[in-house]
Amino acid sequence: MENNKFMSFLESFLLPLADALNNNRYLTALRDGFMVALPLIIFGSIFVVIANFPFLDRVISPEAFAAYQNALGPASAATLSIMGLFVIIGIGYKLTAHYGQDAIYGGVVALAAFLILTPQVLEDVPGVIPTSALGAQGMFLGIFTAFLSAELNRFFIERGWTIKMPAGVPAAVSKSFSALIPITLTLSVFLLIRVLFSFTTFETMQNFIFTIIQQPLTILGSGLPATIIIVLLTQVFWFFGLHGQIIINSVFDPIWFTLNDQNLVAFQAGEALPNIVTKQFIDSFLVGMGGTGMTLAVIVLIFAIGKSRQLKELGKLGAPAGVFNVNEPIIFGLPIIMNPLIIIPWMLAPVAVTVITYYSMAAGLVPRPAGIIVPWTTPPILNGFLATGNAWQGGVLQAVNMLVVMVIWWPFLRILDKNYYDTEREEA
Amino acid sequence: MKNILLACSAGMSTSLLVTKMEEAAKSRGVDVTIWAVSQDKAPKDMEKADVLLIGPQMRFMKKKFAKVAEEVGIPLEVIDSMAYGRLDGEAVLNRAMELIETH
Repeated sequence: MENNKFMSFLESFLLPLADALNNNRYLTALRDGFMVALPLIIFGSIFVVIANFPFLDRVISPEAFAAYQNALGPASAATLSIMGLFVIIGIGYKLTAHYGQDAIYGGVVALAAFLILTPQVLEDVPGVIPTSALGAQGMFLGIFTAFLSAELNRFFIERGWTIKMPAGVPAAVSKSFSALIPITLTLSVFLLIRVLFSFTTFETMQNFIFTIIQQPLTILGSGLPATIIIVLLTQVFWFFGLHGQIIINSVFDPIWFTLNDQNLVAFQAGEALPNIVTKQFIDSFLVGMGGTGMTLAVIVLIFAIGKSRQLKELGKLGAPAGVFNVNEPIIFGLPIIMNPLIIIPWMLAPVAVTVITYYSMAAGLVPRPAGIIVPWTTPPILNGFLATGNAWQGGVLQAVNMLVVMVIWWPFLRILDKNYYDTEREEA
Repeated sequence: MKNILLACSAGMSTSLLVTKMEEAAKSRGVDVTIWAVSQDKAPKDMEKADVLLIGPQMRFMKKKFAKVAEEVGIPLEVIDSMAYGRLDGEAVLNRAMELIETH
């Protein structure tokens, strides 16, 4: 009874939190903005994978390999490397659509506002926008700019300032100013911001946001302690049957994608990869193991030791989707939710996997994620291989992690299975 | 002909249930169209639906969807988590038809 009270107390706290995080208009626009960019990001990722096909550099001559990479380069350079642009258009569009205004203007105004704040000179050559500013480096600035420009544009639209035309001027002409005035005012504000920042030691707003917000947040987010806390929080949400990953993603995606992009830049330059925790660390090594909580290992364990009809049926039901990292049948069917016995392996296994993965990458046993975005529905082993830039060690690490999860779950699943088995025999 | 809409985070796990519900509908000769969408597509698709069922893991979306459902004039409910875990197409189909009829 005490236990139940505690559970309902926790849920009464978690449900509003999930509601607030998932239904907040800025976080919704942020998540949907990333969704807009995702197909392009994956397109670019596919060509990074193809351009770095394993062993190809040993089969063909260095010149031929360089030509091959150069030919495929624009695919990722035009999408993955400048993903910030697409995220900004997506956020501006979605937030403006949320306010019921002409969304495409929201998208292009956000983009223009961001470009106004972006450095437009590179090593004293004017008229050049460094692509690095459009990728990871500009991610946070882009997000803030998109929010602010959509809000300003909305504010100016709602003011309803128009240019009064004399009678006799066609209605369509005066209407054409209705979009012009809010956009002009919005973008003027951003130009003013740019000018003001040029007088500071930061020189650009990009540099300001990068130094004051982005760098501290990404350094914090790339650390093991923060990652373990996030993993635990995700598991707690799911334990109460709430989609933890989607709730957490809406807050952490900007950090994880930025870390991812930093690795991509280094990977393509053939330099040492700076980060271990990235979007793909989460998506491949944590989610990409049969779904959040690495439940594919649990399904394998059910096939290996399950005696009860209930678990065997569940294993058959959950396996086909589990291979593609969809695991709701297991979470709700085992059940994992609200199951006081299962909470132990449910919380423990992902932390063990996080720690093992982190240290095998830190020690150099397994290459770090190469910045390639692998769709989260890619089956385990394969997604570990792809995420680490076609490294077999990535797949092996996932297999090892799978075994670790099975060992942690084994005693608990055996007790659960025995309970079900005994009940089934009593009923028979 | 009734239209049943299911929604979850990406429309993946609800689509598993759609297949099971379609099987149940076919064996009983009920004329229904059932489809699953991701949460961001749900409000738009609600216009074409007679009922909206939400995956239990996304139950925190109910408040937001309820507003749209009221505008469109359809009932909505969070799917029972036991039926969801068992992918019990028959039970969820029955509940959906009940919601449509009593609305």
